[in-house]
Amino acid sequence: MADSDLTPKFAPFFGMAGIAAAMTFGCFGAAYGTAKSGIGIAGVGTFRPDLIMKSLIPVVMSGIIAVYSLVIAVLIAGDMGPPPAQNYSLFNGFMHLACGLSVGLTGMAAGYAIGIVGDMGVRSYMQQSRIFVGMVLILIFGEVLGLYGLIVALILNTKSRG
Amino acid sequence: MATRRIISGEKTILEKDDKDFAQPEGGKSNIAPAVPAHVIYKLLGFTLAMVVGPIGSYFLTLNLLFRGNSTYAGAFAAIMANVVLIGYVVVAFQEDQTDQMEAKEKEKREGKKVI
Repeated sequence: MADSDLTPKFAPFFGMAGIAAAMTFGCFGAAYGTAKSGIGIAGVGTFRPDLIMKSLIPVVMSGIIAVYSLVIAVLIAGDMGPPPAQNYSLFNGFMHLACGLSVGLTGMAAGYAIGIVGDMGVRSYMQQSRIFVGMVLILIFGEVLGLYGLIVALILNTKSRG
Repeated sequence: MATRRIISGEKTILEKDDKDFAQPEGGKSNIAPAVPAHVIYKLLGFTLAMVVGPIGSYFLTLNLLFRGNSTYAGAFAAIMANVVLIGYVVVAFQEDQTDQMEAKEKEKREGKKVI
């Protein structure tokens, strides 16, 4: 294959950067969400151990943020290959970077929201059980932010076969 | 110190007397584990589902169901992750209800004993 204007040598750099951005930023958000809500659950668990099962919901939601990032990282990695076998265009490189950044940074935003809401939510749930439905709703709205990033990344990813 | 525990209402281990730990006369000692087995199985099951479910379904459906269309397979994996979450919420709710029912039954039984 020839090194042309449309498929320069450095194009895979951006695709690889997209994979790394998706995974690291997404896991950064998921880790913050897990840790912050875990602090709240540990605080609740010493007083009301029976509420732990329901308080674990923010942790499960943070796990889903990481799954979104993982799906996009695997998807991008599937589209890439070593140079002699595949012409990797600069367009694809930038597109994969956009995929990775969109899912990674929205995942980080969602993880921060889940962490803060999860921490304060389970602590309030200990004192007022009616707050549970509201807490789950807020958590879902927080997590939907990560889902939007995933949708944009999936739509962007379809353009590589155009 | 907003995160400090309120410890005034609790007895530390040093303040407890021996009779706080002693078993009732003639009764069997309570050797049941603090966390019942079915809860452990539930948590292990959800952990496994969370780890294997989405990414496994991605690779399974990629060639079998969607014929190599990775976008649909990725969307399917995201849906599977949310299915696990909904399953967890449902199980957590049921757990709460069974706890309440058990507590009510216990109350009934103990009430009869007193009469």
